[in-house]
Amino acid sequence: MKLSIFRFNPEQDEKPYMQDYEIELETTDQMLLDVIVRLKVQDDTLTFRRSCREGVCGSDAMNINGRNGLACITPVRALKEPIKLRPLPSFPVIRDLVVDMTQFFKQYHSINPYLINNEPAPERERLQSPEDREKLNGLYECILCGCCTSQCPSSWWNPDKFVGPAGLLQAYRFIIDSRDQATQERLDDLNDPYRLFRCRTIMNCTEVCPKGLAPSRAIEKIRLMMIKESL
Amino acid sequence: MRRTVTGLRAWLLQRISAIYMLLFIIFFLTHFLVESPDSYQAWHGWMMSSGVSIATLIFFAALMLHVWVGVRDVLMDYIHPLALRIFALTLLGIGLVAITAWVMRILLMEHS
Ligand code: SF4
Ligand code: SF4
Ligand code: FES
Repeated sequence: MKLSIFRFNPEQDEKPYMQDYEIELETTDQMLLDVIVRLKVQDDTLTFRRSCREGVCGSDAMNINGRNGLACITPVRALKEPIKLRPLPSFPVIRDLVVDMTQFFKQYHSINPYLINNEPAPERERLQSPEDREKLNGLYECILCGCCTSQCPSSWWNPDKFVGPAGLLQAYRFIIDSRDQATQERLDDLNDPYRLFRCRTIMNCTEVCPKGLAPSRAIEKIRLMMIKESL
Repeated sequence: MRRTVTGLRAWLLQRISAIYMLLFIIFFLTHFLVESPDSYQAWHGWMMSSGVSIATLIFFAALMLHVWVGVRDVLMDYIHPLALRIFALTLLGIGLVAITAWVMRILLMEHS
């Protein structure tokens, strides 16, 4: 199996380059991650992040043949060779496939990703009807891998001002939560020229999300709530 | 409405103007398909009936707003130095005002 992998070590290299690798597939190689983990045995300078190896932690997000995804849940045999691996587009590269997610998490934190409820906490837990709980499906599952935001053109142009699909999906996750009391503040916060309205409904985010979530739909729903609010 | 409505208002304006333009174009084309005027006079008369010329005026107003919001959005994406962006927006604004004036001139002058 042939691979072509983006290499960059800022301490040694002046410029990034693509390095070719070749490796025999073994029967245990199911996912792309299995192969790159074995490649690292061949060449221990190859650098990437991974942890759970089952699509839960979000650390091995990378650009696979031009499309963002998680190496650990991408069946390797279905990929066209040579498999081209690059770091997440538009994120600053730290080394090889490892990118700097600082900006991404800054945007995530900017939407206050926690329940805001000023009533004293009940003895056991804040209850919610099954219907209200239902509304959080398709939102809470996000693992913050960054695949969507890294593939969003609006985030490329204004990464510092546009919250990006991942952050907006989480914003909606708290806006729609029946236990959250800051709905209005959250909507007001997003109603400016940049934070939400840079989104052009290009839908790369939904197309690419490895967890099958739909940030563009969440963004649409936030817009609808804003419209209802302003009437 | 609340303090910061630029984002939502611009977005709504974009959708509403688009819908109006779409309806107008359909109306315009249907007229020409169904009872196409057989002479310049007939066409001119139809165009200048107050209903049609007001609808046309609104169409161009919608078009200008649509272009303003749309192109401004593109400029906000790609042009980040403030001075350059203000310059580009000014050019756009002047262009749109000039076109509007021209349209008004045609529609209103023909009337009198
Ligand atoms: S929405 Fe999907 S692609 Fe985006 S960060 Fe969450 S899991 Fe990753
Ligand atoms: S729909 Fe919006 S958030 Fe998603 S990729 Fe497109 S511009 Fe980005
Ligand atoms: S290693 Fe955890 S998501 Fe792939």
